[in-house]
Amino acid sequence: MTDTIGELQEIARQIRIDVVTTIHKAGDGHPGAALSATDLIAALYFRVMKVDPARPDWAERDRFVLSKGHACPALYAALARKGYFSHDDLVGLRSLGSHLQGHPDMNKTLGIDFTSGSLGNGVSIGLGMVLAGRVTRLDYFVYVVTGDGEIEEGVVWEAAMSAAKYRAGRLIVFVDNNGIQSGGPVEQVSGLYPILPKWEAFGWHCQEIDGHDFSQILSAVEDTQMEAERPSLILAHTVKGQGVPFMIGDNSWHKRVPTRQEYEEAMRALGGPVW
Amino acid sequence: MTQTGNTRIAFIETLTEIAAQDPTAALVCADSILVVKGQAFAQKYPERFVDVGIAEQNAVACAAGMASCGLVPFVATYAGFITMRACEQVRTFVAYPHLNVKLIGANGGISAGEREGVTHQFFEDLGIVRTIAGITVVVPADEAQVRHATRAIHKTPGPAYMRIGSGRDPLVDCEDVPFELGKVRVLADHGNDVVLFANGFVVNRALAAADVLSRQGVHPTVVDVHTLKPLDREAIVDLLRQTGAAVTVEDHNIIGGLGSAIAELSAEACPTPVMRIGLRDTYPRSGEPGPLLDYYHIGVADIVEAAKRAMQMRDRKVR
Repeated sequence: MTDTIGELQEIARQIRIDVVTTIHKAGDGHPGAALSATDLIAALYFRVMKVDPARPDWAERDRFVLSKGHACPALYAALARKGYFSHDDLVGLRSLGSHLQGHPDMNKTLGIDFTSGSLGNGVSIGLGMVLAGRVTRLDYFVYVVTGDGEIEEGVVWEAAMSAAKYRAGRLIVFVDNNGIQSGGPVEQVSGLYPILPKWEAFGWHCQEIDGHDFSQILSAVEDTQMEAERPSLILAHTVKGQGVPFMIGDNSWHKRVPTRQEYEEAMRALGGPVW
Repeated sequence: MTQTGNTRIAFIETLTEIAAQDPTAALVCADSILVVKGQAFAQKYPERFVDVGIAEQNAVACAAGMASCGLVPFVATYAGFITMRACEQVRTFVAYPHLNVKLIGANGGISAGEREGVTHQFFEDLGIVRTIAGITVVVPADEAQVRHATRAIHKTPGPAYMRIGSGRDPLVDCEDVPFELGKVRVLADHGNDVVLFANGFVVNRALAAADVLSRQGVHPTVVDVHTLKPLDREAIVDLLRQTGAAVTVEDHNIIGGLGSAIAELSAEACPTPVMRIGLRDTYPRSGEPGPLLDYYHIGVADIVEAAKRAMQMRDRKVR
Protein backbone atom coordinates (compact mmCIF):
# COMPACT_ATOMS: atom_id res chain seq x y z
CA MET A 1 0.00 0.00 0.00
CA THR A 2 1.16 3.46 -0.82
CA ASP A 3 0.63 5.87 2.03
CA THR A 4 1.01 9.34 0.72
CA ILE A 5 -0.48 11.44 -2.01
CA GLY A 6 3.08 12.39 -2.97
CA GLU A 7 3.94 8.78 -3.65
CA LEU A 8 0.86 8.37 -5.82
CA GLN A 9 1.80 11.50 -7.73
CA GLU A 10 5.25 10.07 -8.33
CA ILE A 11 3.80 6.75 -9.53
CA ALA A 12 1.46 8.60 -11.86
CA ARG A 13 4.40 10.61 -13.24
CA GLN A 14 6.26 7.37 -13.93
CA ILE A 15 3.18 5.89 -15.62
CA ARG A 16 2.87 8.97 -17.81
CA ILE A 17 6.52 8.65 -18.80
CA ASP A 18 5.84 5.02 -19.76
CA VAL A 19 2.68 5.95 -21.68
CA VAL A 20 4.43 8.49 -23.89
CA THR A 21 7.53 6.33 -24.28
CA THR A 22 5.69 3.14 -25.22
CA ILE A 23 3.42 4.90 -27.72
CA HIS A 24 6.43 6.63 -29.25
CA LYS A 25 8.30 3.31 -29.52
CA ALA A 26 5.23 1.37 -30.72
CA GLY A 27 4.45 3.96 -33.36
CA ASP A 28 0.76 3.68 -32.49
CA GLY A 29 -1.68 4.37 -29.67
CA HIS A 30 -3.95 6.83 -27.89
CA PRO A 31 -1.84 9.07 -25.65
CA GLY A 32 -4.48 11.68 -24.78
CA ALA A 33 -6.95 9.19 -23.30
CA ALA A 34 -4.28 7.21 -21.44
CA LEU A 35 -2.94 10.37 -19.80
CA SER A 36 -6.39 11.51 -18.66
CA ALA A 37 -7.08 8.16 -16.97
CA THR A 38 -3.62 7.74 -15.45
CA ASP A 39 -4.35 9.16 -11.99
CA LEU A 40 -7.51 7.06 -11.60
CA ILE A 41 -5.58 3.92 -12.52
CA ALA A 42 -2.67 4.82 -10.25
CA ALA A 43 -4.97 5.42 -7.29
CA LEU A 44 -6.84 2.17 -7.82
CA TYR A 45 -3.81 -0.08 -8.27
CA PHE A 46 -1.49 1.57 -5.75
CA ARG A 47 -3.86 2.48 -2.98
CA VAL A 48 -7.37 1.15 -3.35
CA MET A 49 -7.60 -2.32 -4.86
CA LYS A 50 -7.03 -5.59 -3.04
CA VAL A 51 -4.83 -7.38 -5.57
CA ASP A 52 -1.78 -9.63 -5.48
CA PRO A 53 0.50 -9.62 -8.51
CA ALA A 54 1.87 -13.00 -7.43
CA ARG A 55 -1.65 -14.42 -7.75
CA PRO A 56 -3.30 -12.74 -10.74
CA ASP A 57 -6.12 -15.33 -10.62
CA TRP A 58 -6.77 -14.94 -6.89
CA ALA A 59 -10.55 -15.37 -6.66
CA GLU A 60 -10.99 -12.85 -3.84
CA ARG A 61 -9.18 -9.97 -5.53
CA ASP A 62 -10.91 -6.74 -6.48
CA ARG A 63 -11.53 -6.49 -10.23
CA PHE A 64 -10.74 -3.71 -12.63
CA VAL A 65 -12.30 -3.23 -16.06
CA LEU A 66 -10.79 -0.58 -18.31
CA SER A 67 -13.90 -0.05 -20.39
CA LYS A 68 -12.06 2.61 -22.38
CA GLY A 69 -9.58 -0.02 -23.49
CA HIS A 70 -7.67 2.37 -25.72
CA ALA A 71 -6.20 3.92 -22.56
CA CYS A 72 -4.36 0.64 -21.94
CA PRO A 73 -0.79 1.99 -22.14
CA ALA A 74 -1.48 3.52 -18.72
CA LEU A 75 -2.89 0.25 -17.39
CA TYR A 76 0.04 -1.74 -18.78
CA ALA A 77 2.48 0.66 -17.14
CA ALA A 78 0.65 0.32 -13.81
CA LEU A 79 0.60 -3.48 -14.03
CA ALA A 80 4.30 -3.59 -14.86
CA ARG A 81 5.08 -1.36 -11.88
CA LYS A 82 2.95 -3.61 -9.67
CA GLY A 83 5.05 -6.56 -10.82
CA TYR A 84 2.61 -8.53 -12.97
CA PHE A 85 5.24 -8.58 -15.72
CA SER A 86 8.56 -7.01 -16.54
CA HIS A 87 8.81 -3.29 -17.13
CA ASP A 88 10.94 -4.16 -20.17
CA ASP A 89 7.84 -5.68 -21.82
CA LEU A 90 6.21 -2.26 -22.18
CA VAL A 91 8.17 -1.31 -25.28
CA GLY A 92 6.67 -4.33 -27.08
CA LEU A 93 3.24 -2.65 -27.06
CA ARG A 94 1.22 -3.50 -30.19
CA SER A 95 4.04 -5.51 -31.77
CA LEU A 96 3.73 -9.06 -33.03
CA GLY A 97 4.95 -11.44 -30.36
CA SER A 98 4.30 -9.08 -27.45
CA HIS A 99 1.67 -9.98 -24.87
CA LEU A 100 0.63 -6.32 -24.83
CA GLN A 101 -2.16 -6.02 -27.37
CA GLY A 102 -3.44 -2.78 -28.87
CA HIS A 103 -6.38 -3.15 -26.49
CA PRO A 104 -6.43 -5.20 -23.26
CA ASP A 105 -6.64 -8.99 -23.57
CA MET A 106 -7.35 -10.95 -20.38
CA ASN A 107 -5.84 -14.13 -21.80
CA LYS A 108 -2.59 -12.64 -23.04
CA THR A 109 -1.60 -10.16 -20.33
CA LEU A 110 -1.28 -11.07 -16.66
CA GLY A 111 -3.27 -8.77 -14.43
CA ILE A 112 -5.92 -7.85 -16.99
CA ASP A 113 -9.24 -8.86 -15.44
CA PHE A 114 -11.26 -8.42 -18.59
CA THR A 115 -10.76 -7.94 -22.30
CA SER A 116 -11.87 -4.52 -23.54
CA GLY A 117 -11.57 -2.08 -26.39
CA SER A 118 -14.94 -1.93 -28.08
CA LEU A 119 -16.63 0.80 -26.13
CA GLY A 120 -19.56 0.76 -23.76
CA ASN A 121 -19.35 -2.72 -22.28
CA GLY A 122 -17.45 -2.29 -19.03
CA VAL A 123 -20.43 -1.47 -16.83
CA SER A 124 -22.31 -4.63 -17.90
CA ILE A 125 -19.23 -6.76 -17.45
CA GLY A 126 -18.56 -5.23 -14.04
CA LEU A 127 -22.15 -5.88 -13.02
CA GLY A 128 -21.76 -9.54 -14.03
CA MET A 129 -18.65 -9.76 -11.86
CA VAL A 130 -20.50 -8.32 -8.86
CA LEU A 131 -23.43 -10.71 -9.35
CA ALA A 132 -21.03 -13.65 -9.58
CA GLY A 133 -19.46 -12.60 -6.27
CA ARG A 134 -22.85 -12.98 -4.59
CA VAL A 135 -23.09 -16.58 -5.77
CA THR A 136 -19.50 -17.47 -4.88
CA ARG A 137 -19.77 -15.57 -1.56
CA LEU A 138 -16.75 -13.40 -2.30
CA ASP A 139 -17.03 -9.75 -1.35
CA TYR A 140 -14.64 -8.13 -3.83
CA PHE A 141 -15.27 -4.70 -5.33
CA VAL A 142 -15.39 -4.13 -9.07
CA TYR A 143 -13.96 -0.88 -10.44
CA VAL A 144 -14.68 0.27 -13.97
CA VAL A 145 -13.20 3.23 -15.83
CA THR A 146 -15.19 4.38 -18.84
CA GLY A 147 -14.61 7.27 -21.14
CA ASP A 148 -17.17 10.04 -21.40
CA GLY A 149 -17.84 9.65 -25.12
CA GLU A 150 -18.23 5.91 -24.62
CA ILE A 151 -21.29 6.30 -22.41
CA GLU A 152 -23.15 7.35 -25.54
CA GLU A 153 -23.45 3.60 -26.16
CA GLY A 154 -26.95 2.30 -25.32
CA VAL A 155 -25.66 -0.78 -23.51
CA VAL A 156 -24.20 1.50 -20.82
CA TRP A 157 -27.71 2.60 -19.88
CA GLU A 158 -29.02 -0.95 -20.06
CA ALA A 159 -26.36 -1.81 -17.51
CA ALA A 160 -27.04 1.32 -15.44
CA MET A 161 -30.66 0.27 -15.12
CA SER A 162 -29.98 -3.32 -14.14
CA ALA A 163 -27.13 -2.48 -11.74
CA ALA A 164 -29.55 -0.29 -9.81
CA LYS A 165 -32.20 -3.03 -9.87
CA TYR A 166 -29.66 -5.51 -8.48
CA ARG A 167 -28.46 -3.03 -5.83
CA ALA A 168 -24.92 -3.61 -7.01
CA GLY A 169 -23.28 -1.54 -4.29
CA ARG A 170 -19.91 -3.14 -4.96
CA LEU A 171 -19.82 -1.78 -8.50
CA ILE A 172 -17.91 1.48 -8.75
CA VAL A 173 -17.72 3.24 -12.09
CA PHE A 174 -15.51 6.20 -12.91
CA VAL A 175 -16.35 8.31 -15.93
CA ASP A 176 -13.08 9.77 -17.20
CA ASN A 177 -14.65 13.03 -18.28
CA ASN A 178 -11.88 14.62 -20.34
CA GLY A 179 -14.56 16.24 -22.46
CA ILE A 180 -13.22 15.23 -25.84
CA GLN A 181 -13.99 12.15 -27.91
CA SER A 182 -12.55 10.97 -31.20
CA GLY A 183 -14.48 13.41 -33.35
CA GLY A 184 -14.32 16.45 -31.08
CA PRO A 185 -15.82 17.92 -27.90
CA VAL A 186 -18.38 15.61 -26.31
CA GLU A 187 -21.13 18.22 -26.28
CA GLN A 188 -20.73 18.84 -30.01
CA VAL A 189 -20.64 15.21 -31.05
CA SER A 190 -23.44 13.76 -29.00
CA GLY A 191 -25.46 15.91 -26.66
CA LEU A 192 -24.30 13.76 -23.76
CA TYR A 193 -24.31 16.44 -21.07
CA PRO A 194 -25.33 16.70 -18.34
CA ILE A 195 -23.87 13.38 -17.24
CA LEU A 196 -24.45 13.25 -13.50
CA PRO A 197 -28.24 13.81 -13.41
CA LYS A 198 -28.68 10.90 -15.82
CA TRP A 199 -26.93 8.46 -13.47
CA GLU A 200 -28.77 9.94 -10.50
CA ALA A 201 -32.04 9.36 -12.33
CA PHE A 202 -31.02 5.75 -12.88
CA GLY A 203 -30.65 5.31 -9.12
CA TRP A 204 -26.88 5.49 -8.73
CA HIS A 205 -24.89 7.00 -5.88
CA CYS A 206 -23.14 9.86 -7.65
CA GLN A 207 -20.12 12.03 -6.92
CA GLU A 208 -18.18 14.58 -8.91
CA ILE A 209 -14.44 15.06 -8.47
CA ASP A 210 -11.26 16.40 -9.99
CA GLY A 211 -9.85 13.23 -11.54
CA HIS A 212 -6.29 14.44 -11.14
CA ASP A 213 -6.57 15.17 -7.41
CA PHE A 214 -5.62 12.05 -5.47
CA SER A 215 -7.18 13.18 -2.23
CA GLN A 216 -10.51 13.65 -4.04
CA ILE A 217 -10.19 10.30 -5.84
CA LEU A 218 -9.44 8.43 -2.62
CA SER A 219 -12.09 10.18 -0.60
CA ALA A 220 -14.69 9.48 -3.31
CA VAL A 221 -13.76 5.79 -3.32
CA GLU A 222 -14.01 5.66 0.46
CA ASP A 223 -17.45 7.18 0.18
CA THR A 224 -18.57 4.51 -2.31
CA GLN A 225 -17.53 1.78 0.08
CA MET A 226 -19.96 3.09 2.65
CA GLU A 227 -22.75 2.66 0.11
CA ALA A 228 -24.12 -0.86 0.48
CA GLU A 229 -26.92 -0.86 -2.05
CA ARG A 230 -26.61 1.72 -4.78
CA PRO A 231 -23.94 1.26 -7.45
CA SER A 232 -21.55 4.20 -7.52
CA LEU A 233 -20.72 6.64 -10.27
CA ILE A 234 -17.79 8.98 -9.88
CA LEU A 235 -17.71 11.66 -12.52
CA ALA A 236 -14.02 12.51 -12.72
CA HIS A 237 -13.20 15.76 -14.44
CA THR A 238 -9.95 15.17 -16.26
CA VAL A 239 -7.75 16.72 -18.91
CA LYS A 240 -6.97 14.86 -22.10
CA GLY A 241 -3.20 14.70 -22.37
CA GLN A 242 -2.69 15.64 -18.69
CA GLY A 243 1.00 16.02 -17.86
CA VAL A 244 2.17 16.79 -21.39
CA PRO A 245 1.43 20.46 -22.01
CA PHE A 246 1.54 20.40 -25.81
CA MET A 247 -1.06 17.62 -25.96
CA ILE A 248 -3.60 19.49 -23.84
CA GLY A 249 -6.32 21.17 -25.86
CA ASP A 250 -5.19 19.54 -29.10
CA ASN A 251 -7.43 16.59 -29.92
CA SER A 252 -5.12 15.29 -32.62
CA TRP A 253 -3.51 13.56 -29.57
CA HIS A 254 -6.55 11.33 -29.25
CA LYS A 255 -4.62 8.96 -31.50
CA ARG A 256 -1.26 10.26 -32.57
CA VAL A 257 2.34 9.21 -32.20
CA PRO A 258 4.86 11.67 -30.80
CA THR A 259 7.78 12.36 -33.13
CA ARG A 260 11.26 12.11 -31.68
CA GLN A 261 11.25 15.83 -30.98
CA GLU A 262 7.80 15.71 -29.37
CA TYR A 263 8.79 12.67 -27.34
CA GLU A 264 11.85 14.49 -26.01
CA GLU A 265 9.73 17.54 -25.21
CA ALA A 266 7.24 15.33 -23.34
CA MET A 267 10.05 13.75 -21.35
CA ARG A 268 11.33 17.18 -20.39
CA ALA A 269 7.84 18.10 -19.18
CA LEU A 270 7.46 14.85 -17.23
CA GLY A 271 11.05 14.74 -16.00
CA GLY A 272 11.61 11.41 -17.69
CA PRO A 273 14.66 9.84 -19.29
CA VAL A 274 14.96 9.90 -23.07
CA TRP A 275 15.47 6.46 -24.60
CA MET B 1 -50.14 -34.74 -37.93
CA THR B 2 -46.59 -34.55 -36.64
CA GLN B 3 -46.23 -35.09 -32.91
CA THR B 4 -44.57 -32.21 -31.16
CA GLY B 5 -42.51 -31.75 -28.03
CA ASN B 6 -41.23 -28.65 -26.26
CA THR B 7 -37.55 -27.84 -26.65
CA ARG B 8 -37.85 -24.78 -24.42
CA ILE B 9 -39.05 -26.88 -21.50
CA ALA B 10 -36.50 -29.58 -22.31
CA PHE B 11 -33.77 -26.96 -22.01
CA ILE B 12 -34.94 -25.39 -18.76
CA GLU B 13 -35.65 -28.71 -17.07
CA THR B 14 -32.19 -29.93 -17.96
CA LEU B 15 -30.56 -26.70 -16.80
CA THR B 16 -32.45 -26.98 -13.51
CA GLU B 17 -31.12 -30.51 -13.08
CA ILE B 18 -27.61 -29.29 -13.90
CA ALA B 19 -27.96 -26.44 -11.39
CA ALA B 20 -28.73 -28.94 -8.63
CA GLN B 21 -25.33 -30.53 -9.21
CA ASP B 22 -23.29 -27.52 -10.28
CA PRO B 23 -23.51 -24.50 -7.96
CA THR B 24 -21.99 -22.27 -10.66
CA ALA B 25 -24.68 -22.86 -13.30
CA ALA B 26 -26.81 -19.74 -13.80
CA LEU B 27 -29.61 -18.47 -16.03
CA VAL B 28 -29.51 -15.01 -17.62
CA CYS B 29 -32.64 -13.67 -19.27
CA ALA B 30 -33.53 -10.52 -21.16
CA ASP B 31 -37.18 -10.41 -20.12
CA SER B 32 -37.29 -13.90 -21.58
CA ILE B 33 -38.20 -15.80 -18.42
CA LEU B 34 -41.58 -16.76 -19.87
CA VAL B 35 -40.03 -17.62 -23.24
CA VAL B 36 -37.85 -20.28 -21.63
CA LYS B 37 -40.27 -21.11 -18.81
CA GLY B 38 -37.65 -20.10 -16.26
CA GLN B 39 -39.98 -19.34 -13.33
CA ALA B 40 -39.19 -22.52 -11.40
CA PHE B 41 -35.45 -22.04 -11.89
CA ALA B 42 -35.72 -18.44 -10.68
CA GLN B 43 -37.62 -19.52 -7.60
CA LYS B 44 -35.25 -22.34 -6.76
CA TYR B 45 -32.01 -20.46 -7.47
CA PRO B 46 -32.75 -16.75 -7.05
CA GLU B 47 -29.09 -15.71 -6.83
CA ARG B 48 -28.30 -17.62 -9.98
CA PHE B 49 -31.11 -16.09 -11.97
CA VAL B 50 -30.43 -12.73 -13.59
CA ASP B 51 -32.99 -10.82 -15.62
CA VAL B 52 -31.63 -7.60 -17.10
CA GLY B 53 -34.82 -6.68 -18.92
CA ILE B 54 -35.16 -6.19 -22.66
CA ALA B 55 -31.45 -5.58 -23.08
CA GLU B 56 -29.66 -8.39 -24.86
CA GLN B 57 -26.30 -6.67 -25.19
CA ASN B 58 -26.31 -6.16 -21.44
CA ALA B 59 -27.39 -9.77 -20.89
CA VAL B 60 -24.48 -11.17 -22.88
CA ALA B 61 -21.85 -8.77 -21.52
CA CYS B 62 -23.11 -9.31 -17.97
CA ALA B 63 -22.92 -13.08 -18.48
CA ALA B 64 -19.36 -12.66 -19.73
CA GLY B 65 -18.50 -10.83 -16.50
CA MET B 66 -20.15 -13.59 -14.48
CA ALA B 67 -18.20 -16.26 -16.35
CA SER B 68 -14.92 -14.42 -15.75
CA CYS B 69 -15.61 -14.82 -12.02
CA GLY B 70 -16.31 -18.53 -12.12
CA LEU B 71 -19.98 -18.96 -13.03
CA VAL B 72 -21.41 -20.87 -16.00
CA PRO B 73 -24.19 -18.61 -17.22
CA PHE B 74 -26.75 -19.79 -19.76
CA VAL B 75 -28.13 -16.75 -21.60
CA ALA B 76 -31.52 -17.69 -22.97
CA THR B 77 -33.69 -15.54 -25.18
CA TYR B 78 -34.72 -15.30 -28.82
CA ALA B 79 -32.04 -16.52 -31.22
CA GLY B 80 -31.85 -13.38 -33.31
CA PHE B 81 -31.60 -11.04 -30.36
CA ILE B 82 -28.57 -12.95 -29.10
CA THR B 83 -26.88 -13.41 -32.46
CA MET B 84 -27.78 -10.11 -34.08
CA ARG B 85 -28.57 -7.53 -31.39
CA ALA B 86 -25.78 -8.75 -29.13
CA CYS B 87 -23.52 -10.12 -31.83
CA GLU B 88 -20.54 -7.99 -30.91
CA GLN B 89 -20.78 -8.90 -27.23
CA VAL B 90 -20.91 -12.57 -28.26
CA ARG B 91 -17.85 -12.22 -30.44
CA THR B 92 -15.65 -9.88 -28.44
CA PHE B 93 -16.56 -10.61 -24.83
CA VAL B 94 -17.62 -14.26 -24.89
CA ALA B 95 -15.92 -15.99 -27.80
CA TYR B 96 -12.66 -14.05 -28.02
CA PRO B 97 -11.82 -14.48 -24.30
CA HIS B 98 -13.14 -18.06 -24.55
CA LEU B 99 -15.47 -17.64 -21.59
CA ASN B 100 -17.75 -20.34 -20.33
CA VAL B 101 -20.98 -18.72 -21.48
CA LYS B 102 -23.75 -20.78 -23.08
CA LEU B 103 -26.06 -18.98 -25.47
CA ILE B 104 -29.51 -20.48 -25.96
CA GLY B 105 -31.44 -19.14 -28.94
CA ALA B 106 -35.20 -19.66 -29.11
CA ASN B 107 -37.31 -19.54 -32.27
CA GLY B 108 -34.48 -20.98 -34.35
CA GLY B 109 -35.66 -21.20 -37.96
CA ILE B 110 -38.69 -19.97 -39.86
CA SER B 111 -40.91 -22.75 -38.54
CA ALA B 112 -40.12 -22.00 -34.90
CA GLY B 113 -41.07 -18.38 -35.35
CA GLU B 114 -44.46 -19.45 -36.59
CA ARG B 115 -47.07 -16.76 -37.13
CA GLU B 116 -44.93 -14.00 -35.58
CA GLY B 117 -43.39 -13.04 -38.88
CA VAL B 118 -39.84 -12.12 -39.80
CA THR B 119 -39.00 -10.16 -36.63
CA HIS B 120 -39.32 -13.40 -34.65
CA GLN B 121 -38.15 -15.91 -37.24
CA PHE B 122 -34.42 -16.44 -37.00
CA PHE B 123 -32.74 -17.99 -39.98
CA GLU B 124 -29.37 -16.24 -39.93
CA ASP B 125 -28.28 -17.18 -36.38
CA LEU B 126 -26.20 -20.20 -37.34
CA GLY B 127 -24.41 -18.43 -40.17
CA ILE B 128 -23.53 -15.60 -37.82
CA VAL B 129 -22.22 -17.68 -34.93
CA ARG B 130 -20.45 -20.10 -37.26
CA THR B 131 -18.17 -17.29 -38.45
CA ILE B 132 -17.16 -16.48 -34.88
CA ALA B 133 -14.04 -18.40 -33.87
CA GLY B 134 -14.17 -20.63 -30.82
CA ILE B 135 -17.92 -21.18 -30.37
CA THR B 136 -19.44 -24.64 -30.31
CA VAL B 137 -22.67 -24.52 -32.35
CA VAL B 138 -25.38 -27.11 -31.70
CA VAL B 139 -28.68 -27.54 -33.52
CA PRO B 140 -30.64 -30.31 -31.78
CA ALA B 141 -33.37 -32.17 -33.66
CA ASP B 142 -36.05 -32.26 -30.96
CA GLU B 143 -36.74 -32.03 -27.24
CA ALA B 144 -34.90 -35.21 -26.30
CA GLN B 145 -31.87 -34.07 -28.25
CA VAL B 146 -32.01 -30.69 -26.52
CA ARG B 147 -31.63 -32.48 -23.19
CA HIS B 148 -28.51 -34.28 -24.42
CA ALA B 149 -27.12 -31.14 -26.02
CA THR B 150 -27.69 -28.99 -22.92
CA ARG B 151 -25.76 -31.46 -20.78
CA ALA B 152 -23.03 -31.74 -23.40
CA ILE B 153 -22.42 -28.01 -23.74
CA HIS B 154 -22.42 -27.67 -19.96
CA LYS B 155 -19.73 -30.35 -19.71
CA THR B 156 -17.61 -28.78 -22.43
CA PRO B 157 -15.75 -25.70 -21.18
CA GLY B 158 -15.98 -22.62 -23.38
CA PRO B 159 -18.57 -20.72 -25.36
CA ALA B 160 -21.47 -22.52 -27.00
CA TYR B 161 -24.58 -21.60 -28.93
CA MET B 162 -27.58 -23.92 -28.96
CA ARG B 163 -30.80 -23.50 -30.86
CA ILE B 164 -34.17 -24.22 -29.32
CA GLY B 165 -37.57 -23.76 -30.92
CA SER B 166 -41.04 -22.40 -30.33
CA GLY B 167 -42.19 -25.00 -27.84
CA ARG B 168 -44.13 -26.84 -30.52
CA ASP B 169 -41.24 -28.68 -32.03
CA PRO B 170 -41.61 -31.89 -34.07
CA LEU B 171 -40.49 -35.08 -32.40
CA VAL B 172 -38.03 -37.28 -34.24
CA ASP B 173 -37.99 -41.01 -33.69
CA CYS B 174 -34.24 -41.25 -33.16
CA GLU B 175 -33.55 -41.63 -29.45
CA ASP B 176 -31.87 -45.00 -30.00
CA VAL B 177 -29.00 -43.26 -31.82
CA PRO B 178 -26.70 -41.81 -29.16
CA PHE B 179 -25.84 -38.11 -29.01
CA GLU B 180 -22.20 -37.15 -28.80
CA LEU B 181 -21.16 -33.53 -29.17
CA GLY B 182 -19.11 -33.06 -32.33
CA LYS B 183 -20.15 -36.39 -33.87
CA VAL B 184 -22.80 -36.90 -36.53
CA ARG B 185 -25.64 -39.35 -35.92
CA VAL B 186 -26.64 -41.72 -38.69
CA LEU B 187 -30.40 -41.90 -38.29
CA ALA B 188 -31.30 -44.05 -41.28
CA ASP B 189 -29.06 -46.14 -43.46
CA HIS B 190 -30.98 -47.31 -46.51
CA GLY B 191 -27.84 -47.38 -48.63
CA ASN B 192 -25.15 -45.30 -50.31
CA ASP B 193 -27.02 -43.76 -53.23
CA VAL B 194 -27.15 -40.33 -51.66
CA VAL B 195 -26.58 -38.79 -48.23
CA LEU B 196 -29.07 -36.40 -46.66
CA PHE B 197 -27.43 -34.18 -44.04
CA ALA B 198 -29.99 -32.48 -41.81
CA ASN B 199 -30.26 -30.72 -38.47
CA GLY B 200 -32.79 -28.96 -36.28
CA PHE B 201 -36.53 -29.23 -36.47
CA VAL B 202 -36.58 -30.43 -40.09
CA VAL B 203 -34.69 -33.68 -39.46
CA ASN B 204 -38.03 -35.50 -39.59
CA ARG B 205 -38.54 -34.13 -43.11
CA ALA B 206 -35.23 -35.61 -44.22
CA LEU B 207 -36.27 -38.95 -42.72
CA ALA B 208 -39.64 -38.78 -44.51
CA ALA B 209 -37.88 -37.95 -47.78
CA ALA B 210 -35.60 -40.94 -47.28
CA ASP B 211 -38.65 -43.18 -46.92
CA VAL B 212 -40.10 -41.80 -50.15
CA LEU B 213 -36.79 -42.30 -51.95
CA SER B 214 -36.50 -45.85 -50.63
CA ARG B 215 -39.92 -46.71 -51.95
CA GLN B 216 -38.78 -45.37 -55.32
CA GLY B 217 -35.71 -47.58 -55.29
CA VAL B 218 -33.20 -44.95 -54.22
CA HIS B 219 -31.26 -45.83 -51.08
CA PRO B 220 -30.20 -42.83 -48.99
CA THR B 221 -28.43 -42.39 -45.70
CA VAL B 222 -29.83 -39.77 -43.33
CA VAL B 223 -27.37 -38.03 -41.05
CA ASP B 224 -28.08 -35.62 -38.20
CA VAL B 225 -25.35 -32.98 -38.13
CA HIS B 226 -26.42 -31.55 -34.78
CA THR B 227 -22.99 -30.09 -34.07
CA LEU B 228 -22.47 -27.52 -36.79
CA LYS B 229 -19.19 -26.46 -35.23
CA PRO B 230 -16.81 -28.12 -34.78
CA LEU B 231 -17.93 -30.16 -37.76
CA ASP B 232 -17.38 -33.92 -37.72
CA ARG B 233 -15.15 -33.63 -40.78
CA GLU B 234 -13.97 -37.21 -40.88
CA ALA B 235 -17.42 -38.79 -40.79
CA ILE B 236 -18.85 -36.30 -43.27
CA VAL B 237 -16.03 -36.78 -45.77
CA ASP B 238 -16.45 -40.57 -45.47
CA LEU B 239 -20.16 -40.21 -46.25
CA LEU B 240 -19.43 -37.92 -49.21
CA ARG B 241 -16.94 -40.48 -50.53
CA GLN B 242 -19.33 -43.40 -50.07
CA THR B 243 -22.27 -41.69 -51.76
CA GLY B 244 -20.86 -39.08 -54.16
CA ALA B 245 -24.10 -37.11 -53.86
CA ALA B 246 -25.40 -35.01 -50.98
CA VAL B 247 -28.37 -32.92 -49.90
CA THR B 248 -28.42 -30.58 -46.93
CA VAL B 249 -31.68 -29.90 -45.11
CA GLU B 250 -32.01 -27.06 -42.64
CA ASP B 251 -34.42 -24.46 -41.35
CA HIS B 252 -32.04 -21.59 -42.05
CA ASN B 253 -30.99 -19.42 -44.91
CA ILE B 254 -29.14 -21.61 -47.41
CA ILE B 255 -26.25 -19.17 -46.96
CA GLY B 256 -24.14 -19.67 -43.86
CA GLY B 257 -25.60 -22.72 -42.14
CA LEU B 258 -25.41 -26.46 -42.66
CA GLY B 259 -25.49 -26.23 -46.46
CA SER B 260 -22.55 -23.88 -46.49
CA ALA B 261 -20.62 -25.93 -43.95
CA ILE B 262 -21.01 -29.14 -45.93
CA ALA B 263 -20.31 -27.44 -49.27
CA GLU B 264 -17.14 -25.85 -47.88
CA LEU B 265 -15.89 -29.16 -46.55
CA SER B 266 -16.84 -30.95 -49.75
CA ALA B 267 -15.02 -28.41 -51.90
CA GLU B 268 -11.84 -28.78 -49.87
CA ALA B 269 -11.81 -32.46 -49.05
CA CYS B 270 -14.08 -34.41 -51.40
CA PRO B 271 -15.70 -32.48 -54.28
CA THR B 272 -19.26 -33.76 -54.45
CA PRO B 273 -22.55 -32.36 -55.75
CA VAL B 274 -24.28 -30.79 -52.73
CA MET B 275 -27.88 -29.58 -53.07
CA ARG B 276 -28.92 -27.17 -50.37
CA ILE B 277 -32.46 -27.24 -49.01
CA GLY B 278 -33.25 -24.24 -46.85
CA LEU B 279 -34.68 -20.76 -47.03
CA ARG B 280 -33.56 -19.41 -50.39
CA ASP B 281 -32.07 -16.12 -49.27
CA THR B 282 -35.39 -14.38 -48.86
CA TYR B 283 -37.71 -13.19 -46.06
CA PRO B 284 -40.48 -15.58 -45.11
CA ARG B 285 -44.09 -14.84 -44.14
CA SER B 286 -46.18 -15.69 -41.11
CA GLY B 287 -47.87 -19.05 -41.18
CA GLU B 288 -48.25 -22.45 -39.61
CA PRO B 289 -44.92 -24.24 -39.40
CA GLY B 290 -45.62 -27.19 -41.67
CA PRO B 291 -47.20 -25.33 -44.58
CA LEU B 292 -44.65 -22.54 -44.13
CA LEU B 293 -41.72 -24.92 -44.62
CA ASP B 294 -43.43 -26.44 -47.65
CA TYR B 295 -44.11 -23.00 -49.12
CA TYR B 296 -40.45 -22.07 -48.84
CA HIS B 297 -39.25 -25.27 -50.48
CA ILE B 298 -38.15 -27.08 -47.34
CA GLY B 299 -40.70 -29.81 -48.02
CA VAL B 300 -40.33 -33.55 -48.31
CA ALA B 301 -40.90 -33.36 -52.08
CA ASP B 302 -38.18 -30.72 -52.39
CA ILE B 303 -35.72 -32.95 -50.56
CA VAL B 304 -36.61 -35.94 -52.74
CA GLU B 305 -36.16 -33.83 -55.88
CA ALA B 306 -32.83 -32.46 -54.63
CA ALA B 307 -31.55 -35.97 -53.89
CA LYS B 308 -32.31 -37.01 -57.44
CA ARG B 309 -30.64 -33.93 -58.87
CA ALA B 310 -27.52 -34.55 -56.79
CA MET B 311 -27.34 -38.12 -58.04
CA GLN B 312 -27.87 -37.00 -61.65
CA MET B 313 -25.02 -34.55 -61.35
CA ARG B 314 -22.79 -37.22 -59.88
CA ASP B 315 -23.71 -39.69 -62.63
CA ARG B 316 -23.23 -37.17 -65.46
CA LYS B 317 -19.78 -36.55 -64.09
CA VAL B 318 -19.05 -40.28 -64.18
CA ARG B 319 -20.13 -40.51 -67.85
